[in-house]
Amino acid sequence: MLRALSRGTLPARALPVRARRRRRVVLAAVVLAGVLLIVVLVTSLAGSGNSGVSTVGGNASAVVYQAGHRPLAPEFTGTTLTGSKLSFSSYRGKVVVLNFWGSWCVPCREEAPILAAVAGKYQPSGVSFLGVDVRDTTASALAFTHSFHVAYPSVIDQSSAITLDFTAKVPIAGTPTTLVVDRTGHIAGAVFGTVTYPGLTAIVAKVTAEGG
Amino acid sequence: MTDVRAPETDPFDPAAEQDDHPRPGPSSPGAAFGPADWLKWGWRQLTSMRIALILLFLLALASVPGSMLPQQGSNPSGVQQYYTSHPDLAPWLDRLGLFNVFAAPWFAAIYLLLFASLVGCVVPRTFRLAGSARTLPPRAPRHLARLPRSAEYTTALPPQEAVEVAARVLSGRGFRLRRPDDADSSQDWVSAEKGYLREAGNLLFHLALLGVLVSVALGGLFGYKADRLLVQGQSFANTVSALDEWHPGRFVTAADLGPFTIKLNRFDASYIASGQQRGQPSSFDARVTYTEHPGGPARSFDLDVNRPLSVDGAKVYLIGHGYAPEFTVTDARGHVVYKQPTPFVAGASGNFLSEGVVKVPDAQPEQLGFTGVFVPTAVNVGGTLESVFPAADNPAVSLIAYAGNLGMDSGAPQSVYELDTTAMHRLTASPQVLQPGQSLKLPDGRGTITFTGYVPWVSLAITHDPGQLPALICGIASLGGLLLSFMIRRRRVFVRARSGPSAQNGTTVQVGGLARTDAGGGFEAEFAGLAAELRSAHEQAAPVPPGQPPPQQAAQPRHEGE
Amino acid sequence: MPVNVALGHVSNAFLIAALVIYSLSVVAFAGDFAFGRPRRAAAAAHGQQARDRAAALASVGAASAAGAAADQAPAPATASAAPADDAGTMPELAVPALRAIREAGRWIVAAVAFAMLGAAAHTTAVITRGLAVHRAPWGNMYEFVTALTCVAAIFFLFAMIRYRVWTLGVFVMGAVVVTLGLADTLIYTAPGDLVPALQSYWLDIHVTAMTLATGIFFVPAVLGFVYLWVDRYTRRVAAGQAAPGNGIVRRLPTIEQLDRLTYRTIVFGFPVWTFGVIAGAIWADQAWGRYWGWDPVETWAFITWVLYAAFLHARATAGWRGRRAHYVQLLGFASLIFNILVVQVFIAGMHSYSGVS
Repeated sequence: MLRALSRGTLPARALPVRARRRRRVVLAAVVLAGVLLIVVLVTSLAGSGNSGVSTVGGNASAVVYQAGHRPLAPEFTGTTLTGSKLSFSSYRGKVVVLNFWGSWCVPCREEAPILAAVAGKYQPSGVSFLGVDVRDTTASALAFTHSFHVAYPSVIDQSSAITLDFTAKVPIAGTPTTLVVDRTGHIAGAVFGTVTYPGLTAIVAKVTAEGG
Repeated sequence: MTDVRAPETDPFDPAAEQDDHPRPGPSSPGAAFGPADWLKWGWRQLTSMRIALILLFLLALASVPGSMLPQQGSNPSGVQQYYTSHPDLAPWLDRLGLFNVFAAPWFAAIYLLLFASLVGCVVPRTFRLAGSARTLPPRAPRHLARLPRSAEYTTALPPQEAVEVAARVLSGRGFRLRRPDDADSSQDWVSAEKGYLREAGNLLFHLALLGVLVSVALGGLFGYKADRLLVQGQSFANTVSALDEWHPGRFVTAADLGPFTIKLNRFDASYIASGQQRGQPSSFDARVTYTEHPGGPARSFDLDVNRPLSVDGAKVYLIGHGYAPEFTVTDARGHVVYKQPTPFVAGASGNFLSEGVVKVPDAQPEQLGFTGVFVPTAVNVGGTLESVFPAADNPAVSLIAYAGNLGMDSGAPQSVYELDTTAMHRLTASPQVLQPGQSLKLPDGRGTITFTGYVPWVSLAITHDPGQLPALICGIASLGGLLLSFMIRRRRVFVRARSGPSAQNGTTVQVGGLARTDAGGGFEAEFAGLAAELRSAHEQAAPVPPGQPPPQQAAQPRHEGE
Repeated sequence: MPVNVALGHVSNAFLIAALVIYSLSVVAFAGDFAFGRPRRAAAAAHGQQARDRAAALASVGAASAAGAAADQAPAPATASAAPADDAGTMPELAVPALRAIREAGRWIVAAVAFAMLGAAAHTTAVITRGLAVHRAPWGNMYEFVTALTCVAAIFFLFAMIRYRVWTLGVFVMGAVVVTLGLADTLIYTAPGDLVPALQSYWLDIHVTAMTLATGIFFVPAVLGFVYLWVDRYTRRVAAGQAAPGNGIVRRLPTIEQLDRLTYRTIVFGFPVWTFGVIAGAIWADQAWGRYWGWDPVETWAFITWVLYAAFLHARATAGWRGRRAHYVQLLGFASLIFNILVVQVFIAGMHSYSGVS
């Protein structure tokens, strides 16, 4: 009864059949788009928490930057483990192997003999090796260098400030990380994770062979 | 928020006036039920109230295990413990995704379907609402007395004027009006409708919920969470390799981290010293200095549990704190091979009884390791050291020494809070207790470990969530929509005026009204007030001249059942 | 600031007083069942209703009351099957509240008086507790339950007087007495300070909203049980398994009235609960770094919200109205109670501020 009372002829509602069909299509399209949007969002949400966990020395990946596409290594100064002051600018003109490490870091301990071997091979030809000791203390770090007979200096980076500066240029995601800087002070190659002897020597040999 | 889908018999549902939902059936007469028809049927089922209801139940039910079982995201150590205490059951639960319910695909399927149902229902109704913004109320029915609410009285005004007065009153009350057009035979009526905002509020509520979901997804894709433990006196630069935990969203890279540096200058915690709440913390205070970028000006901030630091688009929260006893270890050759504060983590026993580990991988000739218990206020209870108060009023440390292979020289990374003693042999027969300043001399001249003191540490959470503000706005919008849909009711009022009952008696004015699903109540009161206002407006426009008897008034408000 | 122990004792005293006075009101409500005026006796109430309505709408020019009553005698058929006395409508307008109370009988007058007095004492207890601890008095479970029962009592008194449902008083006030008594005996906590994590103005906003919402939801929960009881009795009568004319049920409001009252109270509480969840999310973001982390208490607050939303949907779904909808509503309240009693106390999470060890 109420229905009969309140239903009257409403001219605005009587659309032609084609317009109604068109409107239905538009409606269906909008609804479908909305559902698809939800599906896309949700599937990209699920599992997003698992991606990107930093691999500390996990799967290593090596990158070589072509000449002209090399990021400029930032300047830094610091104190070495033995207490002397060191400035990175003093290394300009030489090939530098820059190794970010810590005495607490298991993969760093694993790669230490490899680094020592590479250093033994290339230091005589003028390649410099420099360590950046992150999140560490002097006593433990010095003990590490004695254990592994590290023959090159390391700069203290307790707060990771130097690491932060370099992360702006290359995507450093964990420790260890090894960078190879060319004679012009640009980062020519990087190993994110544990170095391997053939992998690191290949990069060092290539950068050393460049004119300079 | 009733009736997202109106029942078919509802006179207010525009859908009832035109068939927007064709009944499922073969596309062409005589044909079998094809796939398109199945899709249509499926879609119609999905967007029905019944399915929405079932999905709501499923959503509630599916959340229950997520609250009862330890979850990987918030309590990974709890999950580990569950594995050790239920070794047979745990792998099955893991296969079903019950240790990470809220990221599980079946949970996503439930709210995905629910929101699909919501979108499929709400979007067409939004279009309909937009369309109805111009449609007029229906014509006034002939017999207003049959409506749920009605009133009748007489006035001296001629019918057309009476209707004009009524129209003005209703218009003044915010009603949308419809007058008879010229073709109408019965000229003297006006229809009025009000309360369109109810449906708008309803739709706003549901769309805002969708907005919350989208905001959460935004945050998950473009935001990140990170943790860092910081010992008093230390500082850290915000880069991935300096963080203890790093959980970026899908589209977040390490370059998105703001380049700030934070130094923990000082951390103080005070505890209630007496009374029933003895031992409960009364205040925390972490004084930090921070720079927004390298080389920037240093600023100081008081970080507190309810007061995070906003810097570089991220927020830094004080999550927890503890004690880091300081140890100095000299090895067999007399070299100092370890000299640092070591964070210990408080256990469940209370009063900050904390456990930790010291690893000395470069001690010569053999690597050393120590497991320790730090007791802030130590009291010897029947041979065991217990902590009776969380402040460090009487600190002591109990150590067990090991020598051998820590397992750090190759293989997987280790936790800094756990010592793997499988390749080590124990040096001390029983735990040795040290007061600050005391040393433990290791047997066979292997060296000494000295407990030199302690400093506090804090744990910080660094988060960035671009979906946070949109989620808040959508939440508030949903609340607004909810209130609108609950408080406003859609109602129609009709006024008819006709001459009569006799020429001398002026005009009979009939007022009728109905409200759609007036389960919220109140229309009775509104209608009575409206009828009274109309009557007084008519009286004011045409007062009864003196000397004439007042016309017979037979006003009988009739109330039909709701 | 040190806790004002004296005021704490004052608060306890007022709470005991409230318990005693509430009990007296429950006795009076029960007495109304046994000895009070008959309710829903068809003709008398019917005529009274008509007279009331005519009197109220006198400004619209009511004719003689007899004429009005005669016109209304053919009870209009309604969608409900209930007889058309004061069953079908909510006579809010008809008679002013005080007169309605008086006309309900001496027992009701006494019961309402005791209930209001008890509510005043209860409110005083809550306020003095807040003054004693220099903060909003819902910082642990004891204070929370005390406050929510106060909200429930006051809310119910409003609803009862507004809709003249005197006969529901014994159930709701009885439930209030039992809950308050259990709280006072089992989980009493002396006044004390809050842990630092709770020292934020968001405490006042979030927990206040939750306290209000829980107190409001308390009422439809009790009414839900009454509904189910009356519904079961009605069905049994229809099936011939029970004799009609049960004295208690006859005095209760009809199924439709109960349903409508339950719906209106839930409609009142649902936005408050929604606001409480949003405020909790804002506070969680301030304190814990994320606005939603599926913490057990958060999850159960979400479950409660979903169940009440399901109730609102059920009422609009064919086949789910009536009894089934009330099952849903009661399930929602059960999840709320489970959240307070079990999840906050036993399940480790970041919400463990109950003060109960």
